[in-house]
Amino acid sequence: MVRSLGRLAIVLLYMTLQAAVVFADAIRIGEVNPLTGKLAKHGLEIHEGILAAVEEVNARGGIKGSMVELVSRDDQSLPEVAINQTEELLYRVKVIGLVGGYVDALVGPISELAAKHRTPYVASASLQRSLTEGRQNPYFFRVSQLDGVAKPLCDFVIEMIHPKTAAILYAATPGSTEFGHDVEACLRNAGVTIPIVEKFRPGTLDFSSFLLKVRQSQPDILISGGFYPDHLILVRHLREQKIPLPIYLAPWGVAYASFIEEMGEASEGLFGLCAWNPGITLPGTEKESELFVERFTRRFSKPPNTTTMHGYTSARALLAAVDKTLQSGQELSGDRISQQLRSLDLILPMEHLAFNQNGDPKHYDQVVVQIQKGKLVVVYPPNRATGKIMEH
Amino acid sequence: MLFQLLIDSFSLGSFYALIALGFSLIFGVTHTFNLAHGELILLSGYLAYVLGKYFSIPFLFTLPICMLALVFVAMLLHQLLRQVKEPFELNSLVVTFGLALVLQNAMLFFFSANYRLIHVPPVPPLELPNLHLFITQTQFILVGLSLLVTGSIYLLWRKTFLGKALRATIQDREAARLAGINVEHMSLMAFILGGMLIGLAGPLYAQREYLHPFGGMEATLIGVIITIFAGVGRIRGILLGGWILGGVESVTVFFLGANWRELVSALVLIMLIVVRPAGVLSKRAKSERWR
Repeated sequence: MVRSLGRLAIVLLYMTLQAAVVFADAIRIGEVNPLTGKLAKHGLEIHEGILAAVEEVNARGGIKGSMVELVSRDDQSLPEVAINQTEELLYRVKVIGLVGGYVDALVGPISELAAKHRTPYVASASLQRSLTEGRQNPYFFRVSQLDGVAKPLCDFVIEMIHPKTAAILYAATPGSTEFGHDVEACLRNAGVTIPIVEKFRPGTLDFSSFLLKVRQSQPDILISGGFYPDHLILVRHLREQKIPLPIYLAPWGVAYASFIEEMGEASEGLFGLCAWNPGITLPGTEKESELFVERFTRRFSKPPNTTTMHGYTSARALLAAVDKTLQSGQELSGDRISQQLRSLDLILPMEHLAFNQNGDPKHYDQVVVQIQKGKLVVVYPPNRATGKIMEH
Repeated sequence: MLFQLLIDSFSLGSFYALIALGFSLIFGVTHTFNLAHGELILLSGYLAYVLGKYFSIPFLFTLPICMLALVFVAMLLHQLLRQVKEPFELNSLVVTFGLALVLQNAMLFFFSANYRLIHVPPVPPLELPNLHLFITQTQFILVGLSLLVTGSIYLLWRKTFLGKALRATIQDREAARLAGINVEHMSLMAFILGGMLIGLAGPLYAQREYLHPFGGMEATLIGVIITIFAGVGRIRGILLGGWILGGVESVTVFFLGANWRELVSALVLIMLIVVRPAGVLSKRAKSERWR
């Protein structure tokens, strides 16, 4: 018995030493995401995308011989927890860079702390303009931006739908509110009458009175800036109450295979936007996209989606900047990595990634998709369309 | 349109009442401030989801199964809370908060963070063309079930010895004990009845909204707010409170907009607490609140 315990102790010691050797000179990057709480679905998707990117680099032998260690923290979908977790990563773990983040309410505080600590932060899903515009934060970068959502949506509505009237619903979050205002201004400029513009609290459980107004005013299109769970309620109520609404268009939450699976028939004909999805990729990156889907599906036993790809893209950006810093023979520091991020030029499945002086992506453009027979079909812009609009 | 708004208000209010009944009953009899109420509703919802998806059990048949299952869970919760020392109200709050966290993570482990829906075969809404009125299957089920359940509990409350004993326990535990009522037994009965009501609410919640491991707080808040509206232990008051809150929210959204919903509801709640501190049906002063 004593001998067995002794052997076990030796094995454990050996394993600990092995791990210590492997990570002794590891490059540590930190990740703060909502892994539990209300935003856990998308937080976990981003986390898996980041993990895929890190594992990909490590499988190739790391960066200049050093393995990359991802230190993940859960912000529980709460800004105050995000602050605590980021402080721990910056001051105790001493990560060389940060990735992740979903919604601006969580990304904003992380970006502040990263700037204070002079550590680069590449946010995975952030839209609010005030986080980048008119604000000097040379350490903050993000792989998405609001214009890449609002502009294609607005162009699509004006060029392809030609509505006379439109209703706009948006969530009381910074990004969704800016989106609502942008789309309203754009449609009004195009001469579209907008009888309903409303803001709602995320997590609202009932939309029946709002839908009654939609029934009353009969708009040609409803642009719904809510999120995944809001659409689950709204669309079911729309269908159940047989509201006469020709087009339902949602920038977030509809273009997901899991949404189609849960909603079934009720999802047919809905319009959504996405930056990437399996089979919907930046022209010229089809092969890389397919390989990513294959690797990811093998690793996580499920296909990736557009949110996963946001996580993957942000991690690829940070890792590429770290690589460039080390290849140039310099020591890793926040300023040097940020400098490399500013000069980054990567062709990735989601976008041609290069940052402008504010840290926003220069070429982030989503496409409009329609759910047709349980599949996502790109209907706009014309140069990326894989099908025509189906009347439902 | 106003009639349609009325139907929508009643439907929403009935939904709120069904969510709140279990919380209110357990709180009234045992003074347990059950912060895991929403998570228990979700647990019942997930059970109905599994029964429907993997065993193809029709939605309405999942209701009695979930009610039975949640009676068992509620009895376990009762056993757990029996170990709680004084001050009971505060300690039960801490214990049920911990239980809520455990249940959230257990549901995350078993069902992932994906949102789940319970589908019922679509039935076209009942249409009254001259009045431009639509009554959907869900609205019909919610209003019908809320009336049935409230009526049943009201009869139990008023016409049976058990009901009288439960009411006596709500009014004054010590006096009830002195009158020969087994207060511990009443607590167990309250958990059994509360478990049944929570078991019923779960599938309805999942069918009308969605299931997510961290979505229980909304249901708990509905339970707390409606209980304040109604006054503790007032069964008819719960339905009335649900209808008032549903009506206030629906009318506010229709006439003012969705962003006014929470503000107006909160103002009405504050006014009610000032004017009718013992609940919406109360006619007595604050010091005489217990019937």
